[in-house]
Amino acid sequence: MSSALQSFEAALRARPPDRLAAMRAESMRRFLELGLPNTGDETWRYTNLRGLAAKPYVDAPRIAAGAAVDAAASWLAAASTAAPVRIVNGFAELGDGAPPERPGVTVRSLRSLAAQDPEWLLERIAPAADTDEERWALLNRALFVDGIYLRIDSPVEDPILIVHLALPGGADTAVHSRVIIETAPGATATVIEHHIGSNGAAVLANSATQIELAADSSVEHYRVFAGNDTMTHIDALTVRQARGSRCRQFTIALGGALVRADLRAKLDGPGAAHDSHSLLVGHGSRHVDCVATVLHASPQATSTQTSRAIASGTGRVVFNSKVVVAAGAAGTQSNQSARGLLLSPTAEIDTRPQLEIHADDVKCAHGATTGRLDPDMMFYLLSRGIDRAAAQSLLIYAFLDDVLTGMSSPAARSAIENALIAELPDADLLREFR
Amino acid sequence: MPGKNVLTISKLRASVAGKSILKGVDLQIGAGEVHAIMGPNGSGKSTLAQVLAGREDYEVEGGGVTFDGQDLLAMRPEERARAGFFLGFQYPVEIPGVNNAYLLKAALNAKRKRAGMPEVDAYEFLALIKAKMKFMQMNEAFLSRGVNEGFSGGEKKRNEILQMLVLEPRLAVLDETDSGLDIDALKVVAKGVNSLRGPDRSIVLITHYQRLLDYIEPDHVHVFSDGRILKSGDKSLARELESRGYDWIQEGRVA
Ligand SMILES: Nc1ncnc2c1ncn2[C@@H]1O[C@H](COP(=O)(O)OP(=O)(O)OP(=O)(O)O)[C@@H](O)[C@H]1O
Ligand SMILES: [Mg+2]
Repeated sequence: MSSALQSFEAALRARPPDRLAAMRAESMRRFLELGLPNTGDETWRYTNLRGLAAKPYVDAPRIAAGAAVDAAASWLAAASTAAPVRIVNGFAELGDGAPPERPGVTVRSLRSLAAQDPEWLLERIAPAADTDEERWALLNRALFVDGIYLRIDSPVEDPILIVHLALPGGADTAVHSRVIIETAPGATATVIEHHIGSNGAAVLANSATQIELAADSSVEHYRVFAGNDTMTHIDALTVRQARGSRCRQFTIALGGALVRADLRAKLDGPGAAHDSHSLLVGHGSRHVDCVATVLHASPQATSTQTSRAIASGTGRVVFNSKVVVAAGAAGTQSNQSARGLLLSPTAEIDTRPQLEIHADDVKCAHGATTGRLDPDMMFYLLSRGIDRAAAQSLLIYAFLDDVLTGMSSPAARSAIENALIAELPDADLLREFR
Repeated sequence: MPGKNVLTISKLRASVAGKSILKGVDLQIGAGEVHAIMGPNGSGKSTLAQVLAGREDYEVEGGGVTFDGQDLLAMRPEERARAGFFLGFQYPVEIPGVNNAYLLKAALNAKRKRAGMPEVDAYEFLALIKAKMKFMQMNEAFLSRGVNEGFSGGEKKRNEILQMLVLEPRLAVLDETDSGLDIDALKVVAKGVNSLRGPDRSIVLITHYQRLLDYIEPDHVHVFSDGRILKSGDKSLARELESRGYDWIQEGRVA
């Protein structure tokens, strides 16, 4: 057994058992049985976890509410007029000084729910399957210490910001946080999850989010990975959508040494609509790996998956998307568009859209292209007096336009654009461009 | 100094992908002059235009070009533009996601910066651009679209002229700006070009048709063939070409 596995098992044993202990033990047993994924596993072909497996991890320490947190403020704070809901080293900061609840929004700590009503909570924690992708989610089920339950009961205008903050505690630390989002029929909300870490030792953040959309409800969800250069982000997002519901999802990878982001969406009612967008930046030596699967389990549902990846230096981005149309899901419409832009000869981008269709009368399209900056476009801009660095930034920015323009929260978009621009050459000029 | 050349091309030779295209071009363009270059398809007219603009795919193998006394070929493409060289492309590229108005403003500011001028005031810029668009009979909605994105062939050509009017170049090389234009659009484009004519500016029109030259009267007409200028004359040469084609000139060379 690898050092990492041993340390995970030890972490669970060392903790005082809570009322979810049986589920945790079962999840850990299964996780240890399967082991960490390796490059022989279909969806882990491009991401080598050997370095990670060799490390013994310790639980990130609980930090007193409010302490040291100002040092790592979320640059997405301006996206919401309310104070963010913070999850620091896996612990939800609720209670004293907690953000006030807004009409239509209920926020609870999973830790307190586990103590008060474990049966109710257990019903809500999604079962993790035995697939390659979901092993980390299995580990999260075993080890999450706390997290947020968020319920939306009516149309909510102002975006809700959840900040996952990792503060390292000396040695290699692991943080397992979980978020459960539920809507009532007809409710709408924008939820932003911002994953950040303060500078320090390498933190492994293994988070999981579930979104349950009731009939005719709608959520625009963002997950933004922006940890420091040593951080590992592993995140599993599960979405289930009832009849007529709508999910607009944005996955933004802007930080961390390694980002592995999974998405599994199940369209579980007629007319459900799912649009996911990924904006993946593999700069420096960052490694970004996304696996997104949309399952059309009901007729007349629609889905789109749009990914835009850029890579420079020795960066690497992998984007695997898949649409599965179950038998009986007639009238399905889906589209997968994956594009990559290579900015250096040593960078690498791999995209692979897949389709698995078991129904008739469906319209499923997919396309994937990866290339360099278009020399004709480049020359056109130069010939108008624009300098090379600025022209390059403009074209990169233009390449990401399809994802950026899809964001309907202007404040979130503006904050994300600012962070993005800071990563591109000639940032000042681009600020003006917007 | 009267008669001073804006552009002097001497014995210019260039190749692309190992294939020799320009085979010794000599051309002198004086201040305030309008030159027309005509010639068969594939003879190298666009290649000449692109080499002058600084396209790197073309390898200059000999000869030289001076632009207002400077060594043009030693300058980067963006420096050439800022120094007052403008190329109107035969096939303007579409750049989705880069806003048309933004490009115009950035281009203008790049030029102003070189001239030691401050950046253009946002309000002033908008007024300028709206006036020029009206003059070119272009819908203002084009401003907020991506550069040439979804523009019709004629709209792209108008957009090239609009950029030229905003940038007020010292020398404009317009590569088949008249191709694909309906008769009304041709008049608008000609009006745009004529409005720029002046003692300080020079214009090179690459065209296949006498029609354009009915609206923009050239001072000199050159026939381009197989990578060089075979014959030069005044505007009557264009008319002669229109009725007789190119064969008589090419045969003349062989004889
Ligand atoms: N990138 C390239 N690679 C290979 N050959 C090229 C390239 N660019 C131009 N050529 C060749 O160079 C020759 C001259 O082309 P050019 O476009 O300059 O002609 P032109 O006189 O502008 O023709 P037209 O009147 O049709 O526009 C042609 O034979 C063309 O195929
Ligand atoms: Mg041509």
